[in-house]
Amino acid sequence: MKPPLLTVDGLTVLFRTEDGPVLAVDAASFDVAEREVLAIVGESGCGKSVTALALTRLLPGSASIGGSVSLTGRSLLSLGESQLRDVRGRDIAYVFQEPMTSLNPVLTVGRQIGEVLRRHQGLRGAAVTRRATELLDMVGIPLPGRRVGEYPHQLSGGMRQRVMIAMAIACRPKLLIADEPTTALDVTVQAGILDVLRDLRGEIGMAVLLITHDLGVVADIADRVVVMYAGRVIEQAPTEQLFAHHGHHYTHGLLDAVPNPARHAEGGLREIPGRVPTMRSSPDACTFADRCGSADDTCRTARPDLAPGPAGHLVRCWHPLQPANAVLPADIGEGPR
Amino acid sequence: MTLALEVVDLVKHFGPVRAVDGVSLTVAPGEVLGLVGESGSGKSTLGRCVVRLLPVSAGTVRVNGRDIAGLSRRRLRPLRRDFNIVFQDPASSLNPRMTVGDIIREPLRLHRIGTATTRRRRVDELLDQVGLQTDVGRRYPHELSGGQRQRVSLARALSAGPTLLVADEPTSALDVSVQAAVLNLIGRLQADLGFACLFVTHDLAAVEFLAQRVAVMYLGVLVEIAARSNLFSAPRHPYTQALLSAAPIPDPLLQRRRRRVVLTGEIPSPVNPPSGCRFHPRCPVAVPECARTVPPLRPVGPARELVACHLVHDDGSGPRLA
Amino acid sequence: MSTVELVAADELAATRPAIGARRRVMRRLLRNPLAVGGLAVVVVAVGAALLADVVSPYAYDQTDFGAALQPPSGSHWFGTDELGRDQLSRVLFGLRASVLVAVMSVALSMAVGVPLGLAAGFYGLVDPVVSRLTDTLLSFPFLVLAVGLAAILGPSLTTATVAIGIAQVPAVIRVTRGETLRLRGLDFVAAAVADGATDGVVLRRHIFPNAVNALIVQATVAAPAAIIGESVLSFLGLGIRPPDPSLGVMLASAQPLFRDGPWMAVIPGLVIVAVTLGLNLLGDGLRDALDPREAPR
Repeated sequence: MKPPLLTVDGLTVLFRTEDGPVLAVDAASFDVAEREVLAIVGESGCGKSVTALALTRLLPGSASIGGSVSLTGRSLLSLGESQLRDVRGRDIAYVFQEPMTSLNPVLTVGRQIGEVLRRHQGLRGAAVTRRATELLDMVGIPLPGRRVGEYPHQLSGGMRQRVMIAMAIACRPKLLIADEPTTALDVTVQAGILDVLRDLRGEIGMAVLLITHDLGVVADIADRVVVMYAGRVIEQAPTEQLFAHHGHHYTHGLLDAVPNPARHAEGGLREIPGRVPTMRSSPDACTFADRCGSADDTCRTARPDLAPGPAGHLVRCWHPLQPANAVLPADIGEGPR
Repeated sequence: MTLALEVVDLVKHFGPVRAVDGVSLTVAPGEVLGLVGESGSGKSTLGRCVVRLLPVSAGTVRVNGRDIAGLSRRRLRPLRRDFNIVFQDPASSLNPRMTVGDIIREPLRLHRIGTATTRRRRVDELLDQVGLQTDVGRRYPHELSGGQRQRVSLARALSAGPTLLVADEPTSALDVSVQAAVLNLIGRLQADLGFACLFVTHDLAAVEFLAQRVAVMYLGVLVEIAARSNLFSAPRHPYTQALLSAAPIPDPLLQRRRRRVVLTGEIPSPVNPPSGCRFHPRCPVAVPECARTVPPLRPVGPARELVACHLVHDDGSGPRLA
Repeated sequence: MSTVELVAADELAATRPAIGARRRVMRRLLRNPLAVGGLAVVVVAVGAALLADVVSPYAYDQTDFGAALQPPSGSHWFGTDELGRDQLSRVLFGLRASVLVAVMSVALSMAVGVPLGLAAGFYGLVDPVVSRLTDTLLSFPFLVLAVGLAAILGPSLTTATVAIGIAQVPAVIRVTRGETLRLRGLDFVAAAVADGATDGVVLRRHIFPNAVNALIVQATVAAPAAIIGESVLSFLGLGIRPPDPSLGVMLASAQPLFRDGPWMAVIPGLVIVAVTLGLNLLGDGLRDALDPREAPR
């Protein structure tokens, strides 16, 4: 089996804030294989965005990053800043949520893509425009020759996001990290962006690390899923297995909270009582225990490890759900009313 | 039966932008009408026009039979007891300088309902109804989570006992598990208190959960109105079909097996909408007629549901895109 | 802040515990050493000014020709002037005048500027009218305004207050109008309208209370300018006139006698600098503390 493209081992991010320390990421470990789409899901405050930024040390000075991150065997966190800058853009590229604010309004689209090409590939002059036009075509922008000379305000939200993706793939990175890339877009536009990501994976042979809170997006495009809660990785599984045979109670709650007429025939969505906690340290307990209906004393006094659960994949839970319990009834029928 | 809400040919222009360009719909008492659409559809503008937060360019808006579109602000004010609105962003929908109790009490004060004592009791009652403890009344908004703030907004909007509530994307800014709680709450309140609700959102799953009828807007006009189950199981308008097809289902087996309707192009600018049917440039099955004449929103099929499409026949049958 | 830092800051903001906003502001302010220094200076200055009657060792106009032109000493900490008047006492009473002018002029500018700013920000038709008024005021250089007023009203503390107050009005209008425009678009204002609020209620209960923070910052910028303004006007003879105490008057009378007694000019000058600097630092610190973003470390 091929070694993974990206290995994250025990990644920890601690912020020094005016209210005290905040443990945003608590010893997260996962791999991303080549050409794989790995989704990290969780709600706000779970640490997924911070994790993505920590991989190339894109965090403010108040953050302390621990653990190790390796890309094709090369440790990233120990690199100097200028070496890391080479990695960013060339080997690992980012796409963020807000295409409105990610593009410079006074530069044409072509020039902004050109910046990446000039820096990492040393292209100059007409070659830059040619390659930029090619990239716009690759991300499905019609009339790329014309678009290359346009300014961001002349493009719609979906198109701007495609431009962001074009910039990201300009150097054929091995890994594309997309942080909520479609959250700010309309649903019909989102579908197109996801298609672009899927196609590019085949064309360029890159892996995608997708940060999202949208389980529909995960179901659509992810090969494997990592679920995070309060800074910890609590479940990791291939997508189909996660949806059908998940082990963690939080995952169950999350899936059950999404309105789905096939499941909510009795009316009422499942709510998870309580709130996502802010972690200041890593407690020797399950961080979900006080919101979990099945928690007992073990859960409150001992930290569970990420270990293979009943369905075979990794779960961090003392009493993970059995595959039979986890399956949600799927009789298609009327909604709750 | 007086309709809770009756909108007739509502038009709202912001200069050259034709945000709402002739919309007619009704909401029966106690009914939830979902209003879905993407950006540029005009749904939020319509919602705000319905509660007269925006002046109406043309058309009528009747709440419980009274036309409020043409009234002066002075005459409108006492009528505001009867309708209210909750907004999307929990961060900006509560006055940071007021306590939760004061915020909820505001409509009672403004409409001079009750006495100081009865108002205090009503606030406690409302807090309980929205699932918050009474001591929350003494707190300030910044001390609450997003979900709690939306509950406070609901309590405020319902405190004077309106018969119509407009909910403008009330759950879009919340986490998934919190969305569930708020949707449950709206459903429960609606069943208990019996108000009519215009539920504006882009979230199809939420609409499917909460609404009895669903209206679909595109670029300032309605393209389809149907009963919830009919709309989701057999959408008629090509745009509705595309919309439903694009929303990903949180079920990988189903999602990856679906055949999707892929739309070309992007939503055009509302400043210069396409001729004839506004959807025709992106419609996979458009014919020349679609560019020439505007399709009227007309009743079709056995249930007399409304569709605006030249290709849908009077019996309700029409193009199936996927 | 970079996009990246904003992302991280937003996630952190979501985790912030529920401390009262005012306490948080105080805490952030007190953590800033420069702001604390400024606050200390301001407190001392205001305290001295308020307690001048009690604290001052001599009356400000008490002459003692035998002790004229004495440098700072045990019995006269700040020395004496050409008439033997104790400089410390004169500084204390002069500070009182400065503080009085600062407070009254800021109050005047707020009393005039806030309603105009609210109206301009709230009513589109009023806005251009107010803008013209603001432009007109701005077109008068401060000193021309002051000279004109002194000619009409005669030089005095009141004249100085009015001149400085009027000069501050455009800034107050700008800040208030800006805040009004910003707050108008927020959902809670729309909610108030939906609840049945009149314009008056909206402005009084919803817009003004939330604009106060910005006005506080404006006041901390205006106050040091007012103190300098009073000193300048009194120095030029357009404000407080001798024998009434004023730091500016002290500077004016110390000017010809500089070689005989430099302390007579230096000390009032240093006091002006110290109080102004203190107010500026405090104002900066307040502005940072009121900023909802996380403090950079």
